[in-house]
Amino acid sequence: MEHEETYLLMMDALDGELAEDGRIKLEAHLRACPPCLQEWQAIMVVHTLLQTTPALSPAVDFAQRTFARLPNRRVRIWTMAAIYALLLLGGVLPILLGVWLAFVLGPVLSEPTILSSISQSIGHALQVMGTVVAALLAGLGEMIVQQPAIVGWLLVLLGIISIWGGVSRQLIFQPAPQQIS
Amino acid sequence: MNEEQVWLDEARQGDKAAFGKLIEAYQTPVYNLAYRMLNNAGEAEEAAQEAFIRAYTRLDSYDPAHKFSTWMLSITSNYCIDIIRKRRALLLSIDEPLPPHPALMSDNSKGPEAQVVMNEQQEMVQALLSELPEDYRETVVLRYWYDLSYEEIAEMMDTTVSAIKSRLFRARRLLAEVGQANGLVTMNDSMVLTAVS
Ligand SMILES: [Zn+2]
Repeated sequence: MEHEETYLLMMDALDGELAEDGRIKLEAHLRACPPCLQEWQAIMVVHTLLQTTPALSPAVDFAQRTFARLPNRRVRIWTMAAIYALLLLGGVLPILLGVWLAFVLGPVLSEPTILSSISQSIGHALQVMGTVVAALLAGLGEMIVQQPAIVGWLLVLLGIISIWGGVSRQLIFQPAPQQIS
Repeated sequence: MNEEQVWLDEARQGDKAAFGKLIEAYQTPVYNLAYRMLNNAGEAEEAAQEAFIRAYTRLDSYDPAHKFSTWMLSITSNYCIDIIRKRRALLLSIDEPLPPHPALMSDNSKGPEAQVVMNEQQEMVQALLSELPEDYRETVVLRYWYDLSYEEIAEMMDTTVSAIKSRLFRARRLLAEVGQANGLVTMNDSMVLTAVS
């Protein structure tokens, strides 16, 4: 018998799943093969050692200290629900408004004279918007070049806002420790 | 409905105290797994706490078709594996010898002499486990302390039953080799541990 087959038998034996004929085979091989016998004994020692080693328990106050660190699920659930509701409203309202406008204004706007005047005024509006955006960008560029201090202050303000955002989130999600009742 | 399911339902509705009962019930298995994996009492406690916090915040994703214990253990072992990888990334030594934990012994029925022997046994086990790569270590720990089937371990570690079987056998051979090299022997049929320094 090959050593590899012996290993499979050893594995079954450790799992307590070795059938009678397997046991006879394994014993026969172990009697005839000193290296396998030595390895089997070493494996059995480790196996027994692991089997008889009890689990380790944490410190006595572990459960209490862990409990104190739990976040507040109820507050979190309500906060998440509110955020989802707002997001949903934010997404649905404009669509409802659009549909309503289409129904009310649709018949009036579909007349040809009105259509052409609408396209004209859209063109004008786009032109005006383009000019305004270009002017804003030019102004912003100039400000960055000439007044870096102002830009710096804006960055500092952003930093302060994000830090306070983090702090308030901590306050919401990690309330003061409580004791197990 | 058993007690555990009641606690789980209440915890899912935001009842912290109900989850506190689950912490009390599972603190030893979770801590033991973390300690076996990390071989450090402080890190094990931190990891066990973090595992409970993660379980609590992710209770919605727990599938009641599975055992809660298995779910809890897999959160713990995943977290421990993360820590081991980070530790390696920080180039810290994993094999650094650590002092035994004061709460090492949970069995108080034995006398002081028995406790000393048990401490040596725990140290020997930790020394052996620390020789294994972390996926082998996880397999061995789950098999020996949690009595999980190959199927359950394979599902937890996201692999096949045959992979777990071969991993476990290779781990046992490796442990036997290290054990022999460290003078771990049997005498007179009953097991005697001798660590030859
Ligand atoms: Zn052989």
